[in-house]
Amino acid sequence: MVKYLLIFSLLSSFLYSGDFRSNCLTCHVNDFQLQMFMKKYTLKYSSEKKIKKAIYSYLKNPKYKDSVLPFGFLNRFGIKNKSQLPDEEIKKMIDIYYDKYNIKSRIY
Amino acid sequence: MYKSERKTIVNVLSLYLSSTLLLIATLFTSYYFYKQEQQTQQEKDILHKYSLELEDALANIYVDGKNRYKYPRFQNFKSAIYDIDNNLIFSTLSINPKQLHKSFFIEDNNAYLRSSLKPYYLGAAFILIEKKKTASNILDELVPLALFIIFITIITSFFLVKLVLKPIRDNLRLLDNFIKDTTHELNTPITTILANIETLHDNECSPKMLKKLQRIKIASFSIANIYQDLVYILLNHKTPIKNENLNLSDILNERIQYFVNFAKNKKIILQQDITPNIYFTADKQKIERLLDNILSNAVKYTKSNTTIKIKLTHSSLSILDQGKGMSKDEIEKIFERYTRFDKTQGGFGIGYNIIKSITDEYKIKIEIKSQVNIGTEVILIW
Repeated sequence: MVKYLLIFSLLSSFLYSGDFRSNCLTCHVNDFQLQMFMKKYTLKYSSEKKIKKAIYSYLKNPKYKDSVLPFGFLNRFGIKNKSQLPDEEIKKMIDIYYDKYNIKSRIY
Repeated sequence: MYKSERKTIVNVLSLYLSSTLLLIATLFTSYYFYKQEQQTQQEKDILHKYSLELEDALANIYVDGKNRYKYPRFQNFKSAIYDIDNNLIFSTLSINPKQLHKSFFIEDNNAYLRSSLKPYYLGAAFILIEKKKTASNILDELVPLALFIIFITIITSFFLVKLVLKPIRDNLRLLDNFIKDTTHELNTPITTILANIETLHDNECSPKMLKKLQRIKIASFSIANIYQDLVYILLNHKTPIKNENLNLSDILNERIQYFVNFAKNKKIILQQDITPNIYFTADKQKIERLLDNILSNAVKYTKSNTTIKIKLTHSSLSILDQGKGMSKDEIEKIFERYTRFDKTQGGFGIGYNIIKSITDEYKIKIEIKSQVNIGTEVILIW
């Protein structure tokens, strides 16, 4: 039973990470960029719940005032387009992003 | 020292001491809380300083080569960081504190200070600083000082009370000395008067003269009675006690005869119900004093044309008069020396004091039932 569960979880994480790659990493190729975003979100929103909520809100309706990025960055690259992904898919991607890049798990 | 004097000293002393001790206790408690507050403030200041140190360290934290963050650690204190939803992010605390909602608290002998943080470095919205609680030495200083002050207060209050009561004591002593001197001077004339009256026979005088002589006899007996009381009071504990098996019935009859003339003069009927041959072991003189005083009071304070009922049984003696009676307050004070409620009658107010001292000595229970304007019943039970 444990063996099946392990295989299932590995498979699902592989599948999810595959989705994350196709949905997110096609644009955000730079790992450092994603780390910096997470740092900025953490600095502004503190908790996991609030960070996820803020990212979701931004992805659904990106605005200059809601962006965590510095002005120079926004001036150069602008804000992203609205995400076309379904809500559930966005939430899954945010979960993967948070799991992979959150700061809390990196403190020692 | 008289019993009443001792009682007054104890009452004044306890009142003075309790009020002073209450004042001292209030002062010390206020001081204790003030010091405790001061100590808490000091603790808070130290913790606040530490929280600034941690804040500074968190602000300057950098990601290392492995994309990880090394949480700052300090020698003087431990800390923890929480996100805005109060979820723990990282902790070096020795315990998991439960009073997180408080800004300052003591738990498990540690002092904790919670402070807010913005921006949220590492996601930390709150930081919690822990340090060992500074040992409180307030009581160590306070208790010996309090004991010393209480000791001094007790000593001074004792002398103060003695000083305040000195005039009263001097007056009592003066009264005592006066009675002592008077008693001494009264002895010879009273004995002479009584001896000479006894030698006069009824047939030697005219009826008018006999009546006058009877009055002199009653007056002399009254003085003799007072004299006996004063001697008892002054020489009490100095005369040897001779306890013997007394025929109480005979003594009572004898003492009643002593008051017959006095009662007759006030047209009082002495109704006797005396069981014969009742024995009681005591000093004869003291029993005479006891009976004389009860009878004397009954005759003295009862109205004319009334009856005094005297009843002696195997275990009790009851003397019921139809006199002025006493209120409850008066009954409570009756045994105090020099207490007199009716100043129209002669006496020093020592009668009931003598009664009490004798009944106490022979473990005789004394009950006084009295109603104002109806009468008084004195019951001795043994």
